[in-house]
Order: sequence, then C-alpha cells, then structure tokens
Amino acid sequence: MKKCEVSIMKRKKSAKLKLPVRNENKRSRGVSQWNIAWRRFRRNKAALVGALIVGFIIFLAAFDALIAPFPPNATPGFYTGEARIPPSLKYLFGTDYIGHDVFSQVVYGARAALFVGFGSAAIAMSLALLVGIISGYYGGFIDNILMRITEVFLVIPFLLILLVFLKVITTIAPSGVGGLSTVMIMIGLFSWASNARIIRGEVLRVKESEFIEASKALGASKRRIMFRHIFPNVLHIIIVLTTLMIATAILVEAAVSFLGFGDPAAITWGQQLQKANEAVKEAWWEGVFPGLFITLLVLGFSLLGNGLRDALDPRLRE
Amino acid sequence: MKLMERKLMTPKEILKIENLKTYFDTWAGIVKAVDGVSLEVREGETLGLVGESGSGKSVTALSILRIVPRPGKILDGRIIYRGENLLEKTEDDLQKIRGKEIGYIFQDPATSLNPVFSIADQLTEVIRHHQNVTKKEALEKAIELLKLVEIADPEIKIWNFPHQLSGGMKQRIAVARALSCQPSLLLADEPTTNLDVTIQAQILKLMRSLKEKLGMSMILITHDMGVVAGVADRITVLYAGRVCETADTKTIFYRPRHPYTIALLTAVPSLALRKEKLTVIPGSIPNLIEPPTGCRFHPRCEYAEAACAKKIPPLVEIEHGHYVACIRWSEIDVESPLGAKANE
Amino acid sequence: MLRYVIRRIIYLIPLFFGVLIIVFVASRIAGDPVRLMTVMNPRITDAARQNLAAYYGLDKPLYYQFIIFLSQLFQGNLGNAYAIRGGTAVTTLIGDYAWLTFELQLAALFLSLLIAIPIGVISAEKQYSKLDVSMTTTSLVGTCIPIFYMGIIAIIIFSYFLGWFPHGGAHSILPENYPFGSYELDGLWHMVLPTAILTFATLAPVVLLVRSSMLEVLRQDYILAARASGLSERSVVYKHALKNTLIPVVTYVGLYFGAMLAGAPVTETVFNWPGVGRLFVEAVKHLDFPVIMGITVFITIMTLVANLITDITYGYIDPRIRVE
Repeated sequence: MKKCEVSIMKRKKSAKLKLPVRNENKRSRGVSQWNIAWRRFRRNKAALVGALIVGFIIFLAAFDALIAPFPPNATPGFYTGEARIPPSLKYLFGTDYIGHDVFSQVVYGARAALFVGFGSAAIAMSLALLVGIISGYYGGFIDNILMRITEVFLVIPFLLILLVFLKVITTIAPSGVGGLSTVMIMIGLFSWASNARIIRGEVLRVKESEFIEASKALGASKRRIMFRHIFPNVLHIIIVLTTLMIATAILVEAAVSFLGFGDPAAITWGQQLQKANEAVKEAWWEGVFPGLFITLLVLGFSLLGNGLRDALDPRLRE
Repeated sequence: MKLMERKLMTPKEILKIENLKTYFDTWAGIVKAVDGVSLEVREGETLGLVGESGSGKSVTALSILRIVPRPGKILDGRIIYRGENLLEKTEDDLQKIRGKEIGYIFQDPATSLNPVFSIADQLTEVIRHHQNVTKKEALEKAIELLKLVEIADPEIKIWNFPHQLSGGMKQRIAVARALSCQPSLLLADEPTTNLDVTIQAQILKLMRSLKEKLGMSMILITHDMGVVAGVADRITVLYAGRVCETADTKTIFYRPRHPYTIALLTAVPSLALRKEKLTVIPGSIPNLIEPPTGCRFHPRCEYAEAACAKKIPPLVEIEHGHYVACIRWSEIDVESPLGAKANE
Repeated sequence: MLRYVIRRIIYLIPLFFGVLIIVFVASRIAGDPVRLMTVMNPRITDAARQNLAAYYGLDKPLYYQFIIFLSQLFQGNLGNAYAIRGGTAVTTLIGDYAWLTFELQLAALFLSLLIAIPIGVISAEKQYSKLDVSMTTTSLVGTCIPIFYMGIIAIIIFSYFLGWFPHGGAHSILPENYPFGSYELDGLWHMVLPTAILTFATLAPVVLLVRSSMLEVLRQDYILAARASGLSERSVVYKHALKNTLIPVVTYVGLYFGAMLAGAPVTETVFNWPGVGRLFVEAVKHLDFPVIMGITVFITIMTLVANLITDITYGYIDPRIRVE
C-alpha cells in the first residue's frame, strides 16, 4: 500500500493562529469584520512592506528640513565648483548641473508627491463616490444620464486634456497662482470616471443582496438604507480604490512635470527628472535617484492597496 | 474495521473505500475533512451518503476520482474500484476512468457547466475524448442523451448556452454529461439541493428510472433524509469526516442504532408525527481543525459518557450488513422515531 | 451577432459627440484663443486682435463656432496650424506623424499580449512556485515604474553605457550610420528600445490580470467538472479555463489601448520619437489650437474604434453578452 506523504504537516503557521470559533465556549470573543481584516492584513508580507514604504516617505516629508543636509533649492555646489559631480560622501546622490544637492532635493520632493497624491485622490474619490452611489442607488433615468457622462470622461484622452488645461491655466493666470495645487485639482477632476463605475457596481451588488430586502421589509426608509447598509459595505472598496488612486496620481503628476507642464517653482521628483533628461549622458545620478523614489512611493501605495483589497474582500474564503 | 474486511469481498462489489483520509492544509490549520471513512457500493445498488454540511460527503466523492482541489490531499486509505486501488493509479489511467467508468454530477447546475461553450460542445467533447467517434456521431449521441434525460426539442436545445436554460434543464444536462459514456458508477453530489422542490422530484424520478434502465451503481450524496428514503438501497451516515452507521435503508429508518442517525431522523419534520416544536440537534458542527477527541459526536450526544471522549469508537457489525460506530449502541432505545410506521 | 455590433456602433456615436463638445468647449472656455495666441506679443493692437478673431471665426457665438467646426470636420478639414510647422494643414501633419505612433503602439501591444498571456497562465498554474513569485513581483514593480523613468534608465544602460542602441529618434540623421546600409534596418534598430520599454510597461499589468483571472476561473465548479469528465489537464486549462480567463483581459486591453495612445506624448518625448504624441506636446506649448483639437479628435476616434473592437471581441468570446 502506498501512503501519500504527510509532508504537509510541516507548515509553520498552522498551530499558532487562533480561529474565532475555536470551541463553543469561547464564541463570545468579538469577530467583527475589521478584526478579521486586520488579522489578514498583518499576515500579508507584501502589504506590510507597502505600509512601511509609505510610512518611510511620510517620515521623510514630515522631517524633510531635518533630514536634508541643505536647504531647499540651495546650490552648494555652484560656488565651490562642485556642480554635476557624482555621488560622494558629502553629496549622497551627487549634484546637478547647477549645483543642487540631489539628495536634499529628493527629500524635499517627498512632500509634493504626497500632497498631490492625497489631494488628487481625495477629489477624484469624492466625485466618484457621489456619482457612483447616486447612480447605483437611484437607478433609472438618473443612472443613465450619469453613466453616459461617465463614459464620455472615460473616452477623453486623459493626459492630452490635462496638458492643455494646465498650459492654458498657467499661461493666463498670474504667475504663482496655485501651481502645484492646480496640477492636483486637475488630476482629480479627470480621474473619477473609472472608479465611479466600480463603485456603482458595488452599490448595485449590495442593493440586490437579500439583506436589503429584509431591511425594507422591516420598514426602513430609503435614506436609512443608503447610509446604514449600503455605505459600510461599499467602504471596503473605497479604501482600496483610494489607495490605488494615490499611486496613479503620483505617476500622473510625475509625467506631467516631466513634460514640462508642472509648476516650475515646486520641488517635485517629476521636475527633477525633466531637468535630468537633458543631462542623461553625463550625469546619470540626476535622474536615477528621483525616479527611484517615485517608483518606491508608487510601489508602496500599490502594495498597500492590494494588501487592503485582499484583507477586506468579504468574499475571500480562508 | 477488521470485521468488514473479513466478511466482505463479495464479488458483487464495485467500489470499496477503506479508511480514507483526506486533509486540507489551509492557513488556519489542517482541516481533517475525511478522517477514516470506509464504505462500499455493490453492483447495481444505490448507496445514500448522508450527513450535514461539513461531514465530508463531497470530499469523499471527489477523493474517489482524485480531483480534490488544492489544498486538499489524500493521505491514507485505499479506494478499490473493480479490484484495483485507484490511489495507486497514474494520472493517465485516472483520466480514462473519470467520465467513462465513473461519472460525477455536481450540486449546482448553474456553475458546473462552462458558460462560454454550448451544450453541444460540452457534451460532444466528453464523448469524443473517451470514444473513437466522428464529430457527427458524437453529436447524434449527444442528442440521444438529451432525449434520455427527457429534454424537449433536443436538436434545438443542444445549441443553447447554459445561461439560456432553466435550473432543472441544466441539471438534466449535467446528468446527461455524467452518463455520456455509460459509466458503471455514478457519483451524484446533492443533485437536487439547488433546485425547486417540484423540479427536485422530477430529477429524482429521472435518476431512478435511469438507474434501472442502465443498471448503474450510484452513490447519492445528500443531507436530506427524505431524498434517500425513496432512492437508496443502503445508507451510510457520515458525521464530521467519519462513518456513524451503515445499513440498508429500512434498517436505518426503522431500527437506527447510532445517536446521530436517530437525531437526524428526529429532526426531519414529518406530517405523520405531528410534533409541535421542531426538534433541533443541540450544538453545532465541530471545528474540523481541532475536532473533539474520541467520538466526534459526543459533545452533542444525549447518550454520551466519559469513555466516548477517550477512544474513537470502532465501526462494528452488529448484524448482517448493519454497522455502527458507537460504544453504547446496545443501550440505545430501539424504537424508531418514526413510531408506529416501524413495521411497514 | 451582427445586431450586437450595429448596436454598439450606434451607441458610440453620441459618445463621440459628447467628447467633441467637451473638448471644444473646454478649449474655448479655457481662455480667449486670440488672447492666448497673442500673449507673447505685447505690441498687438485691439484692431489687429479683432482681425485675427474674424479670420479664425472666433468672434461668433460658441455654438456657431462648434457647428462650423463640425462641418469642417466632416469635410475632413481640421484647419491649419497657427503657430507651428508653418501653418500646414492639420490633417497633413497628422497624416505624416500618425503612422510612427501606431507603429510603436501596435508593436508594443502585440508583443506584450504575446508574452503576458502565457506568463500569466503559467504563473497561475504553478501558483507560489519560484517562477510565479518572480514573475508576479517583477510585474508588480513594473506597474509602478513611470514609463519615462524606464526609458531614461534604458537609455543610460543600453545606449550610453553599452552603446548597443541609439538614444532616440526614428532614424539616423546621417545615412552613413545605417546598419548594413539599410534604411529599414536603421528604422528597426531605432525602434528596439522604445518598443521594448513600452512593451514591458504594457505587459506588466496584463500578466497580473491574466494570473488573477485564471486563478479565479480555476476555482470554479465547471473546471472541476471538466476534470471529473476525464479531460486532460491541458485541455482543461487551455480550452475551458483560458476562454473564460480572457474575458476580463479583453475588457482591460480595450480600455488600456486608449490610455496607451493618450500616453504617447510621454514615451515619444523620452525617445524623441517623431509621432503625434510629441507633436501634441509641441502644439500645446505653443497653444496651437487647430493642432491640439485635431490630434485630440484623432486620438478619440482611435480610442472609440479600439472600444468597438473590444466590444466585438468580447461578444465573440462571451455568449452571455450577445443576448441583451
């Protein structure tokens, strides 16, 4: 008789995790949705790495003045003839064509990245929520109209329109108006469409589920249903979408600045890459480091977003 | 267990499972879904495999075909089909047995048919895989199959896609697919659970008539005692991955000896009994990662005593063909919950 | 099926007009074009401004302008460039540059699907294996790297450091530099780096999508049923599972193509590739509205066509959609 191997017994984690319903007497311990989600999140190594990265960048942004050896936009290398030198002990990431310390500039860029990321995501998600929930919940004519509008926004070539708007605004407005804020708002205004559709889908899914029927049968008012039942269930997807939206916004800002349509006065990684593009042949460090940080931050939010999605998905079986 | 080995080996046996253990290695721990199940099916008979959800019935059936999905693994035991141990066969050999010798009907017809292929495609594919026939011949066979399962206008319906058909029709097609290559053994995993009550009756009637017509053996898995009553010749009752009791249908219904079997029978609402309150088995299904020690039913059993938690009760043959896994079987009240109908 | 296709086409028409309206209104509202055009020229007089306005028909009410715009559009006339390229007809400009953009985008799309789908399928089949983990990680990181950064790194390594490929442009300026003296080979040689980068950027999310879609499909009952019928593993995965897996992938690629086109400005700027993307950036910098509108209209049409093709393919794969 051939016995199949019992090698699966060697799994490390099996014994340590406590299941909520371990035996009937202990069933009273709280097993709310959030508890389970938190536990699942903690197990997910990639998500933790993501959270760590994001935390690190936030730390950089918060203490940028303390961490960066030189003040923002300072050009220490200019006067001492140390412009465009490769990384060294004094200038960790080297200096650029005009003598900026690349390391300091990169540290200062963190703040802008986070600002645009969070800001755009906030605007885009608010719009997406509004459209998505109203459309999904009321259905019918309102749904139709809103969805048509959403589709138009989906078809519009995003980047192209963005560039046009930015150029126009920066040209006609007196200099210094908004700047980075403008970029942030514009990105937000054009990014809501695909998330609106997703949210609407979730609302529809929740709406059809049976417990809403039960709630109606018990006589709850429409508004009550919307807030107490639909919203919490849509919450999990909102969290995930927001995190991923932040990642996208950072990439867009970088692209826009790289092309030269960003705010020249602001210190952003995209701007640094734009200047670096001309110098790529002689000074690779000018572009490599800011780009690395963009990748890092986007990766952080991506991992975080995916981790949150895995942790919060109510349909995922253990 | 030893008693079974000695007495059995009847030539009429088509399938014999000995001490099957199938475990699932999950993040939360090792789920012992099937933990020492033994049963047998004789040629031409229908074995009812009964138990609550989580009792291991489906996993047992999937183990027979060795298609238990990851992270499940068969760890121990023998599955003897027509004298050969399926657990020792290669994947190539198994593919010749699946669908051809042993057919499988899944529980939910809405998900067991591939939504992007037509019925014709799905049926002819199986036929042509196992039999050397042309496309035209396979199509004709498929249409014959649809007639066999009593679908109207089979020549038209065969080109439909699953989403265009009703639940009852889908399940008939699933039956047709399972029977397409004339298997000797049919594994029906809760074939009627997801259907309306009236359709349930139709499908059961269909399966009964097909069984007679084709002389198949069948394992009918269900949690519904009412379903097995009309269709099964013998019944095996499963609880938490282990066998509680095995006997022919009449014996199970009228002379049950295992407390769980009795509880199941009592819990069935019956017009004849006219009870005021629905009886419920106290407690809930055990955690299969950390199951109760000894007899797995003991926490919910009204006959439980100290010894029940210490040792796994052996499956003992108390009379010819009637096996019970309970140390107190002899003390259990013999009168069936079905009361006066005992002698019918 | 044909009915479905026609329905989709009819559906797209109002969408097209919707986009046109928005873009048109936006570009006009964004600021008085005359003022924008002349903002570089402080000595311009009001009379001259008015003349300019009359010349371009900008002094008429908005809806009137739009109608003119539409009528000209249907005659295939997109106007002439204001400020760049000496005022050539926009259609000519687009005609000259569009093919280069398509060359790049289509090659990248094709290659990325060719590579990504098998990788995604195998990763799903061998979940958690070394192959799966490495492919998934690489793809995940790939979705986070900005394209222009990838381009810059590629140029640094393969062009400046290793000297294998040119660092930009579609052709060498001097014919002496053509590899083996061939113009075509020179074109291909210049295409390698930008295509490789664009391919990688495109395939990363597709690998992840195919993998997760496949994993989802493999969990379904009908896959288990196919196994229970004795079908070979290869048949189960490549016939039964694959078709279902590709459904969300088709949707994604359709949407993505529009995004890819819209992202052309970035890629083309990094590699100095002479396509409509780079042209667009130039036009915006000079606020050359006919060109801006022209390219936008063009790309929108392409996006809608891509959507249509996606819808048709989708209807072909998934029979549930056809009967609505």
